[in-house]
Amino acid sequence: MPALAAGLSIGEYARSLVRRLAFLSSVLVAAIWALSGQGYFWPAWVWLGLGDLVLLDFSASWAWRQQRGAVRRVACVWALVGAAAVILIFTWLLTWLLAGAQRFWPAWALLGLATSGSAYSLIALHDRVLVARGRRALRARIDLLTRTRRQAVDAQAAELRRIERDLHDGAQARLVALTLQLGRAELRVQDQPEIRGLILDAQREAHHAITELRDLARGIVPPLLADRGLVAAVESLSARYGLGTAIDARTRGGLAPAIESAAYFVIAEALTNTVKHAGASSSWISLVDEHRSLLVVVGDDGRGGADPLGSGLAGLRARVEALDGSLYVESPRDGGTVLQARLPCAS
Amino acid sequence: MRVVIAEDLALLREGLVALLRESQIEVVAQVEDGPSLLRAIAGHKPDLAIIDVRLPPTYSDEGLLAAIEARRRQPQLGVLVLSQYVETAYASELIGGDTAGIGYLLKERVGDVRAFLDALHSVAGGGTVLDRQVVAELLAPRNGATEALSGLTAREQEVLALMAEGRSNTAIAESMIVTPGAVEKHITNIFAKLELPACNDDHRRVLAVLTYLRVSR
Repeated sequence: MPALAAGLSIGEYARSLVRRLAFLSSVLVAAIWALSGQGYFWPAWVWLGLGDLVLLDFSASWAWRQQRGAVRRVACVWALVGAAAVILIFTWLLTWLLAGAQRFWPAWALLGLATSGSAYSLIALHDRVLVARGRRALRARIDLLTRTRRQAVDAQAAELRRIERDLHDGAQARLVALTLQLGRAELRVQDQPEIRGLILDAQREAHHAITELRDLARGIVPPLLADRGLVAAVESLSARYGLGTAIDARTRGGLAPAIESAAYFVIAEALTNTVKHAGASSSWISLVDEHRSLLVVVGDDGRGGADPLGSGLAGLRARVEALDGSLYVESPRDGGTVLQARLPCAS
Repeated sequence: MRVVIAEDLALLREGLVALLRESQIEVVAQVEDGPSLLRAIAGHKPDLAIIDVRLPPTYSDEGLLAAIEARRRQPQLGVLVLSQYVETAYASELIGGDTAGIGYLLKERVGDVRAFLDALHSVAGGGTVLDRQVVAELLAPRNGATEALSGLTAREQEVLALMAEGRSNTAIAESMIVTPGAVEKHITNIFAKLELPACNDDHRRVLAVLTYLRVSR
């Protein structure tokens, strides 16, 4: 079977065989008619029958190639309607050619076929049109929500940095100016211990306020992160923990404040856990731009067994997920801990 | 002593100017940003510049960069950098290779007027003054790089921290409520334990503090 050797399936082979047989039969009946003394051209009817077969085969296979479901059902209906219409028209054409002119009798049948085909299509595809419209609306809604959430997160990060700056340069700076004035006043009342004591008390209070403001500002955005960016802040952070952490920073910088803050707090939490729980002898941090995301990995070779549902990690996950990022923690017992956060950078 | 002040908050700047004038220190220029600081230093050739880390236009670390640049142009200039927060990284950058005439303090230290004026004189005279918070961070126990300091007793570390603030032996003795003789003994022990070369005492004091900076970097 040469066709099978050419890679056709049995079904396709059968169909091509049918087409060839139909062609051969048409030629054969024409030859028989010619040899048997001609007269009334009856082979035309044989041709019509064989042609119908081939036509049905083509239209059915076209319909079957359509998408499953409603579209395919509608295609099947139109394949039948089309084939029937062609058959009707050709039958009329043959009777007209062979038996002489007469009125176009298939007109009503064609009209009926077209009407019922259209009606069926409308009913079958109506749901589909509605669903497609709904899906489009849903997608637009998701796009809008994603965009506005990102804007909200960015605006919040920018606002937090503004607050941090205001705390430093506003309230805190004024308190510093206040302690300076109190200091100058204190110099003038050396001989009045009671007043001097009051001034020193006031100064102590101002100092507490300054310290509290500084801690508050640091908790909002670490000043080095605001001033020098992520890599400098992470270097300072790891120096403060004194773990001798190896840092591999391959990021071009220019990250959105929200991304920088999230990455920073992921690293800070991971290093805190390393110091508190891991008993590690070495640790590492990597910051890499990858597929329009910032990939943050913090690992240690400590005792592992971190609870990924613990409050610290759960808080981090919420923070990362608000940026459409993801957080993975791998911490087998006695197998070290690796924390990986992927933070997509909006283009 | 002639001083230039770079501080963008008028209230604090004017307070500083008034304090220095009362203490017979001449303020030759007051500026609000880095470039004008460099111009003022070139024009007035002061002994000391008091510089806020955050200056316009970006309010990040212009003051620090200006201080480093000013020192590069005029190595004998004393610079005292004031900041709302301290970063050991900033201290290291500021010190660079040369420790003489460098100060790095939290802003609120201006409230302790006498200690602040001591620090000014110390820095202008080529001394080194680091904020006690920087020193505390440097002395904090950590996993590596501390062998040089791990031999010090708690008392000796305390003395070292006060030394780093630029305090004299007498001031250290007062604040620790011990005799000056006891302080001297601690200091001798520190020098011995850090294996510092015999040279003049002031220089050794600075080296003692900076031993840690070097080791930890």
